[in-house]
Formats: sequence, C-alpha cells, structure tokens
Amino acid sequence: MWSYLLKRLGLSAVIVLSALLVLFLLLHLIPGDPARIALGPRATPEVVARYAEKAHLNEPVLVQFWIYFTNALSGDLGVDVFSERSVAKIVLEDLPSTLILAAAGLLWAALIGIPLGCLSAIRPNSWFDRMTGIISVSTIAIPSFLVAIWSLLVFAVTLRWLPAIGGGESGDLADQVRHLILPAFAVGLGWVGYLARMVRASMLEVMNENYIRAAYAFGLTQRTIVFRYALKVAILPTITLIGIGFSGLLSGAVFAEIIFTRPGVGKLIYDMVMNRNFPVVQGAVLITTAIYVLITLLADLLVAWLDPRVRDSL
Amino acid sequence: MIVNSLNRRGFLKASALLSAGSLFGVPLFSDGARAQAQKLTVRMDNDISILDPGYMVGGTEIETQNACLPCLVNLDLEADVYSWKPSVYVEKFEQRDPTHYDFTLKPGFKWSNGFGELTAEDVKYSYERIKTTDWKGNFEALDHVELTDKYSGTLVLSQPYAPFAVAGLTSGGSAILCKAAMLKVGGKFTTEIPAVCGPYLIEWTPKQKIAFRPNPDWTGPKPAFAEVDALIIADASAAELAYEADELDATEITSATHARYKEKLPENSAIQVAGSLQYMWLGMNTENPKLSDIRVRKAIQHAVDANQVIQGAYAGITDKSNGIICPGLLGHRTATKYAFDPEKAKALLAEAGVSGLELELKTLNEQERILAAQIIQAQLQAVGITVKVLPLDEGPFWEMGDQSKGDGYKTLEIWLMRFGTNPDPQEATQWFTSDQVGVWNWERWKNEEYDSLYKQGMTESDQEKRAKIYLRMQEIMEDTGAYVWINHESETFVHRTSVNISVLPSGEMQLRDFTKA
Repeated sequence: MWSYLLKRLGLSAVIVLSALLVLFLLLHLIPGDPARIALGPRATPEVVARYAEKAHLNEPVLVQFWIYFTNALSGDLGVDVFSERSVAKIVLEDLPSTLILAAAGLLWAALIGIPLGCLSAIRPNSWFDRMTGIISVSTIAIPSFLVAIWSLLVFAVTLRWLPAIGGGESGDLADQVRHLILPAFAVGLGWVGYLARMVRASMLEVMNENYIRAAYAFGLTQRTIVFRYALKVAILPTITLIGIGFSGLLSGAVFAEIIFTRPGVGKLIYDMVMNRNFPVVQGAVLITTAIYVLITLLADLLVAWLDPRVRDSL
Repeated sequence: MIVNSLNRRGFLKASALLSAGSLFGVPLFSDGARAQAQKLTVRMDNDISILDPGYMVGGTEIETQNACLPCLVNLDLEADVYSWKPSVYVEKFEQRDPTHYDFTLKPGFKWSNGFGELTAEDVKYSYERIKTTDWKGNFEALDHVELTDKYSGTLVLSQPYAPFAVAGLTSGGSAILCKAAMLKVGGKFTTEIPAVCGPYLIEWTPKQKIAFRPNPDWTGPKPAFAEVDALIIADASAAELAYEADELDATEITSATHARYKEKLPENSAIQVAGSLQYMWLGMNTENPKLSDIRVRKAIQHAVDANQVIQGAYAGITDKSNGIICPGLLGHRTATKYAFDPEKAKALLAEAGVSGLELELKTLNEQERILAAQIIQAQLQAVGITVKVLPLDEGPFWEMGDQSKGDGYKTLEIWLMRFGTNPDPQEATQWFTSDQVGVWNWERWKNEEYDSLYKQGMTESDQEKRAKIYLRMQEIMEDTGAYVWINHESETFVHRTSVNISVLPSGEMQLRDFTKA
C-alpha cells in the first residue's frame, strides 16, 4: 500500500509539473508580444515596459520559467495584470462556488442514477430496464450546455420560476440554493445516465457471483443481498467515476457557469482568456489541475481501502 | 467577499422552500427585491480592476467613478454636437481664453470617511496628479492649476488645446479625488476609493456585483434610485436572457439582438441608442505594389457597397460611415465623394492595366467582422478581384501594421479596422498623421496639408472653422483611395419603460442620472 501511495504521489507531482511547464509555454507560444496582448493595442509604451519588467518578460525564457516555477512552488502564482490582486486569492474566491456546483450536480445525479442502475440490474431486460437504458443514453447524449440553455429558457425566461443568472446573495442560503438549482441540473443530468449505466453493468457482474447465489440459497431477502452485499462491491468503479467526474467538473462546469453567469473557476478562466489576463488563466488552470490530480488520487486510494483485492494486487 | 454558509437549519429551510415551489408550481422564485421601486438592476460587462482614475482600464471603472466621484464638467448630449456643461459640483465653469478655464465649486459637498469638504485644492491635486499617470493623454496640455480661494481656481494650459474640455474634462481621467484621503493611502489605490463624494457608496463582490448604496453624507441632488445593483455579466447573450427573464432593468445589447428587438420588443421595454463613437473602414496599404496605383484603390472604393455590408453583417442597424468623425461630433461628414459603382470600378482597373488581382483581406476573428469581410470578398469578386479572407487573433492582428514588430507591414494588403474615439474629432484624426506611418497609419500615406490641419484643429477655438478643418482632413484621407468607410457601430441599450436611462455616447452608464419614467 505504501509503495502504491508513493508511486501515485510521484506520478501526481510529475503531472502537476508538466502542467506548470505547459502553462508557462502557453504564454510564449501565443503569437504577438505577451505584454501588448495582455494590455491591449492602445497601451502606452511606458505601461507595456512596466508590465514587461514586472512580469520578467525581458529575462531569458529559462530564467522566466525558473522564476515562475519557484514562485509557484511557494504558492505565489503572480498577480492580476490589471488589478494587481493575488492570482491565488482570485482563484480561491471562486473555487468554493465551483466545488458546490460540482458536488450538487453529482449528488443529485448519484441519488437518481445509482438506484436506477440497481433496479435495472435486478430486473434485467424488463420494461423498467429498457426505459432506464433509453433515459440513460438520452441524458448522456445531450450536451450539458444545451441542457443549461433549455432549462434557462424554460424555467427562468418563460416560467420565471428560478433565477437566470448569478450565484445568489452572499449570506442568503435560500437565495444561493435557488441560484444553484438550474446549473446543478444542467451539469448533473448527463451524469444520471453515466452512473445508471455504470452501476447496472457492475451490478449485473456481481449478481452472477457465487457468493450472491449462495446468499439467495441461504434465503436472504433480495433487499439485503442487493444493498448489503452486491452494491457494496458494484459501487467501487462508480466511486472512481465520481471522483474523475468531480475533478472534471471543476473546469468542465464552465458552460453552466457562463450560461448562468455564475461565479466559478471555469467562468473565471473563460473571462480571463477573453481579457487576455494570462497570469490568472495560468493560476486557475494550475490550481484546478492540482485539485484534479488530488481527487483522482483520493478516489483510487478510497477504492484500494474499500476493496482488499485491489489493495493486495498493488 | 463571497459568503457561502451552510447549516442544518438553513438547509432545511431551503429544502422546504424548494419542495413548496415544486409542489404548487407557483413562481416562488421570482426576484421580488428588484421589483421594489427604489432599486435598479443593470448589467455591467466587466468587473472593476482599478478604480484609480490614473491607472484604470476604463469602461466599467468609469461608470463606477461617475456614480461616486466629483467632476467639473459633464458632456452636454443635448447640444447639436457634443460639448460640455458645468457639473452639479460647480457654481461656475468658464473658458476665459484659449489657455485658461476658471471654476468655482459649490460649497458644502462632503467627502466620505470624514475627509471634509470638496475644495479647489482637491481639483489641483487630482489634475496635476493625472498628468503623471497612465491616463495623462488628455491632460498633457494642462500646465498647472492655480488656486484663487477655497472653492475657486483656474486650469492653466501650456498652449491652446481645443479638445481639453470636451475630451479631457469629461473623460475617465477627470474624476476628482480627495487629496487628504489620497495622501493617507500613499497616493494610489486599486478597488477601494479612499473617499467618495457622490450619491452612492460602493459595495463590491468581485466578479459578481457592484452594489451602489446611498451615501449618507451626500448633499447634492438625490438620484431617482436609492440603490443600484450592477451585475457583472461579461457575455452579452447571457445579459439579454437575464433581461428577458426580468432580472435586469437595463442592459447593452448586440447588433443581432437590436435587429431582433426591432421586430418584437420584450414587454414594457424600449430601445435607446446612446451613441456611435466607433468607426470601421476597409484599409489599403498604399505602399504595397498591388495597391500602389491609386486607380486600383479607387476601384476598390467603388466596388464596395457599405450599405450591403451593414445589412448583411449588422442587420441594418448601424449608421453608414462617411469618414472617421462619428455622428454627433464636430466635422461629421454626411456623404462620401465616391459611390458604389461596380462598372466604374472595372473601368478603373482596366485603365490601370490590372487583371486577375488577388488580395488578402485581414480581419479580427469576430463573427460580424468575418461576415463583413465575406460580403466585401463577394463584392470585389464581382469586379474581378479575388480576395482571400484571413481572420486573425488579437495578438497578430494588432501587430500586422506596426513597423516596430518586423517587416510584416510590407506584405499587408487590405484589412478591416475599427477604432473607438472620444467626443472630440481630434482623437480620431491623430492616428493618420505622417508620424503615425507604421504606428497606426497602416495605410502608409503622408500629407503635409493633413499634418498642418491636424495642428490647427487642436488650437482652433472657433467651432465653425474647426468643423471645416476636420471635414477637409477626412476628404484628404478619402482622396488617397486607401479607405472605404463602412459603419459606426452604436452603443445600444434595452431598458424598462419605467426607467429613463442615461448613457454616454461611448456606452458608459451614468447611474446617478437614471430617472423614473
């Protein structure tokens, strides 16, 4: 287990370092003068020169990378081109909102998708199973940005039941929940299908295992067999999937965040790309990459902890 | 600061609300707060970065400053051409001669945070400071500010500069700061104005909202709306949907939506075109061998129909351009010397002995511009010129005519360009003087008369003579054959009929001047 942990930690460090390098190169691969791109065409030469000096753009590329690398290691991701606010602070301001959206989206998807998958597996090829299959494929096939636009048009613009934009008033939980419903619905809908299909497939496999047949032979109720024995094993791949899904939603919720003008890391990255504010883009992508790697690692460790077979095979 | 607190009681309360809403299907979630008559909700298209007038980005920051900082003059939008009028803060503002502007502040305006009264000393500090900052451009002609007494003084220019009042004193950099408060914070600030003197105080939630709340120290005219929430919505389409969902009282709209709203406006809504301080043209590099013959350039002038471009790419809702001076400004042209005439274009090409001409049309990679470029491509094809449209990202686009960035300017042929300007014609004409060749004059022509007129225009105080100067300058530009004028894109807003909005021609809202209809 410890060697597995060390290996995974080492791999995670390599991934984050690679992201650091790619993000650094990104700024230099974009055609044009980085300072002028960031500040706009009409920025005066003095302002451009001041920015170039502050961002170390006059130094050789390797020196620039070393400065960027050492600063990033110490938690200094630079400052916003315009406001000179700390990039780390800007990203961390928006991170909770994205975490809440991703968690809410996956939570409701799991609450619907996992039972759907279980019930389908218990009665394979029944009308319920077929209906679940159709619903699953449909929800997977519809892109989340379309769900976002349609739900916004129906529930916010036409029916006016729910708010169209924003994250809700600070300190007003009810208002924040109102603003969360449509974005969470949009990012979670596709996951209902994914989770239902994944749980169904795993459950079907587990339900054919000898120990499940033995449990039936002992006369245990179906409910006990499914929830106490079968689901416990069948849920393992789903945990990994949810872990990856959660990490992916950190930046993948960008469509919902943009369409609902909801604060979040995805929208932050989008806005900053539009404003050519590259230090913030670099910082936000780096932080989401690090979180992605961390959550994926935690999900794998959780599976290893839950399943002795996985642990033993390490 | 964003606060996200979650506790059991709150969760249960929210869950109960949601359940009730879904059970009864009633619009429990409509935004009741905004409906209160005293509160206005508008859209701002960008977050604030730096509110310091000397170092700001512009746009949203100017709108924010307008709501809470003093100034000497405002833009007079009622006049035939844009001019200035004294602001609510001054008893008197007069131009004594071409280099002296006298002002007297009204007594009794208080700075917030206990910094005392607004005085002439604050004006002197602010304007002499702005000369040393990134926004010094419009204040370079200012030599110093002389103080007469506590409330009076004179702005003294080092030389006559006609645009000073209209372009300088109404610009973003003209906000007056509290000297005492500025000295206390070290002479510079970012997003927290050390002291305000206006009807509103600011509460900022980064990337979400700028809330304007009543300033208890304000003794001037009360604004019609005690509170204003400016929601930061970068995406225009999202803002338009929010407006249609009744979550905004006013928002700027795109050309496409303007066209759609012309057919059918949302309920209780009206459209207001604030101004058109942008000018777009098709530019030609006069030094490029393919275009060095003026007859070829004139042929292109005759081959392009700007009206078709406006119809096709801008849904027919922008003003046709006849030069670089925008509508509402001194020297605005109402017609061009050339007309759309494909036959004449063909004749000019034949006369120049040009056939099978192939050109590269560069444009910014934006939907409307690409569409405009494609229409021009088709029009030029009709007279025998084959055009390849090349959309570029901002980095390479803004460098393609810049001589300091390499030899790329030599191969530049034709391009679609749009500039923005301020309410004085001097701003737009400055980019085409001889010393701007290879900087912003990418058409690369020089004309002594133009250069001389440019200098005259800056110092001429007679409006009629000034108008003639700028008309002649545009005629000189057009005569080079290097320009096909396209359009002036407008700043267009949709708003509730219960609200009268006030917007500067450059698109910045003046929230304190919004009124109830």
